[in-house]
Amino acid sequence: MPNSSSLHISNLRKWLVQSPPAEWALGNIKELLLASVRQGAVPQHVAFVMDGNRRFARSHQIETIEGHNLGFEALARILEVCYKIGVKVVTIYAFSIENFKRTKYEVDALMDMAKVKLSQLAQHGELLARYGAKMEFLGQRDMVRPDVLEAIDKAIKLTAKNGKAVLNICAPYTSRDEITTAIRNTVIDYSEPVRPTLKRPFSETHIARNIRAQQLSTVSESEENGQLDTTLAGALNQEGSMDSETMGIYNRVDDIVERYLTDLTINEAPASAPTDIIIECLRDTTLSEEEKRAKVDEALDGNVDASDFAELQSLADQMNSSHLDPTTSSTTSTTLNLSTSDPTSVSSSLHPTNFRDPESITARTLTAHTFTGLRTPPLDLLIRTSGVERLSDFMLWQCHQETEIIFLKCMWPEFDLWQFLPVLLEWQWRRRKEGQVDRKRGRSKIE
Amino acid sequence: MLKQKDQLSLRYNSNQKGQPLTPQERERMLRKFLPTTPSPSTPSTISPDPSPFPSRAPPIRNLIKSQIHTLIYTFIHLFFGLYVRTRIAYHAIVDRILAILYYHHRTPDLIRKDVKNLSRLPEHLSVILSVNTDDDRGAGLEQLVHEVSEISAWCASAGIPALSIYERTGILKNYIPQTHHTITRTLQAYFGNTPYSKCPTVSVRAPNLPTFSPPTTPPTSDAGGTHPDHITILLLSEDDGRNTLVDLTKTLAEMAQRSKISPADISAELIDAEITESVMGEPDILLLFAPRVMLDGYPPWQVRLTEIYHVPDNTEGVGYQVFLRALHRYAHAQMRFGR
Repeated sequence: MPNSSSLHISNLRKWLVQSPPAEWALGNIKELLLASVRQGAVPQHVAFVMDGNRRFARSHQIETIEGHNLGFEALARILEVCYKIGVKVVTIYAFSIENFKRTKYEVDALMDMAKVKLSQLAQHGELLARYGAKMEFLGQRDMVRPDVLEAIDKAIKLTAKNGKAVLNICAPYTSRDEITTAIRNTVIDYSEPVRPTLKRPFSETHIARNIRAQQLSTVSESEENGQLDTTLAGALNQEGSMDSETMGIYNRVDDIVERYLTDLTINEAPASAPTDIIIECLRDTTLSEEEKRAKVDEALDGNVDASDFAELQSLADQMNSSHLDPTTSSTTSTTLNLSTSDPTSVSSSLHPTNFRDPESITARTLTAHTFTGLRTPPLDLLIRTSGVERLSDFMLWQCHQETEIIFLKCMWPEFDLWQFLPVLLEWQWRRRKEGQVDRKRGRSKIE
Repeated sequence: MLKQKDQLSLRYNSNQKGQPLTPQERERMLRKFLPTTPSPSTPSTISPDPSPFPSRAPPIRNLIKSQIHTLIYTFIHLFFGLYVRTRIAYHAIVDRILAILYYHHRTPDLIRKDVKNLSRLPEHLSVILSVNTDDDRGAGLEQLVHEVSEISAWCASAGIPALSIYERTGILKNYIPQTHHTITRTLQAYFGNTPYSKCPTVSVRAPNLPTFSPPTTPPTSDAGGTHPDHITILLLSEDDGRNTLVDLTKTLAEMAQRSKISPADISAELIDAEITESVMGEPDILLLFAPRVMLDGYPPWQVRLTEIYHVPDNTEGVGYQVFLRALHRYAHAQMRFGR
């Protein structure tokens, strides 16, 4: 029986290692090593796939749940190492949504174990509190048994104050589910109407008028070059000459209008600018005095003072009496109306809600909606034990760029400092080498 | 190290009398393993005292301690660097030997013989290649096209019908006809260019671009009746990863805004169907020719269950022995030395 004999040997080794002098020496060496490793670059975010508990149990002929128990002890060891060397975030794949397909006996046993172990990790906060780590759960909470959920919430609450490090426990989790949730939440975010921005200190009519004034002046300048035919040039010249005068009238009408519109609710975007409506109707010679007055009232959303109305009337007359061709005036004002009532205000009158532009969604938006969010540093190192070389639906979104993925042959319960240290050292070694290469490249570029 | 007795009681959460452990008991068992300085004060707040050393230990002792740590760190890395270099050298020698033992000699029959005993072959092989940007652009591109056509020829010989090639920048997508031409030429070099050589046909495509598969020759009237194999090559780039998912989200958001779908309709199945159609399905095996595993922006949605194979410390780049070892690994087969 090679398997049971290997267990005997490991028991013998354990007994040797546990003798007081050996224990003391080993402990000191470990401390020294960890403190030394700290001197170099340390990964900020490490993820583990804790695979191989069952296979370990089978090969050592112990119960499956025993394998999981040993796995938890390995986790505690590794967490200690990680936090001691200064890893900020540790993410572990504790339970996959797919794992619910295992036998009910095993799932239940795992859940019971989780309840006990969670309190061991968090209750009086021995491991997590001493290292200032807070616990977070990533995954579909509604798939967990209610009593376990209670234990989870308790553990989260107990460690919520710790701010030095984070332990992310992924259970019940799959990465595709995470990405789907991120996409769904982004869509929900974007399909919620947003309040339109508050009224800005610029008036659309002012801007439109300024543009028109500029266009006219440029056109009349080019006309001086003799490029345009004379009739058009004459008409434009006329407009150009009276332009400053019209502007003055417009501005005064605007002033009066604004006096009335200050108390208007700013949320509803008017279909077209009131100033233009007023000037239009006042200059319309076909309308009677009463009709004009009614229209002005309507445009201003209230009753207009007699004195103000008289002023408006006189302003309009002034405009008419100036050598303005009625046909051109009507065309310009209609174009102005068209330009002020831009498509957004038309659509907003059709759909009373405003949405954010979906084009503003980026990869960062989705990252913000993943379980890990934006605050978690990028994943530096992903370690999977048990020699299986695939990701099995874990951290797909987080690890597919710069993350170094390590597949180890050992089973998870066997995983300890001596397996982890080479991985860590190699990571540091590569970082150092990359730094050297970068520096060299930078130097050669400068030269 | 915990005492056996304590370890057991922690594991089962019960003391010797069979009662559940109280927190005090647990604390007593674990006390000596815990760091000596519990942190009751909030550690994140910056103390107003600007002294660089904590006040607990005299500064000189801390200084010596940190000096020792730096020294040990340097030593560890000295030896570790040595170890890594030795390991790389060892792996390079092994790879070299394997490369000599297993060489295809541009003969499809030899490749077929190499994979004959495998219990299963991947339906869809994916590889990550990188273009060498240090040299001038032309040379890097030429090297890349050469690698792509070699891998295509191996796949065609082994009988793998689908090959997807990921290259971060997606430079090949601009040269699909040229790539197709080079691959066809390489295949002809492998299979021979006679009507009876059953040279496989190739189609090259990229997501959101039309497939390029010109009818190379009119189907030979009655050449044995067996039509030649066909290999599909898919060119991927960084845009087919995250950005595709972002584009999908944009479309879904737009539809939700126009109330065409409700957010509850968005499921993993829907996304999977869309992504599979617009980019590709899950490959069976992902082959890296790099010395370590780094996905470099490879489409995340599709690598879920894909077996990721790389040769540790591979320094030879694209090599036939890496390809062959990946196929062996996929079939869970041991490589025998010699043929």
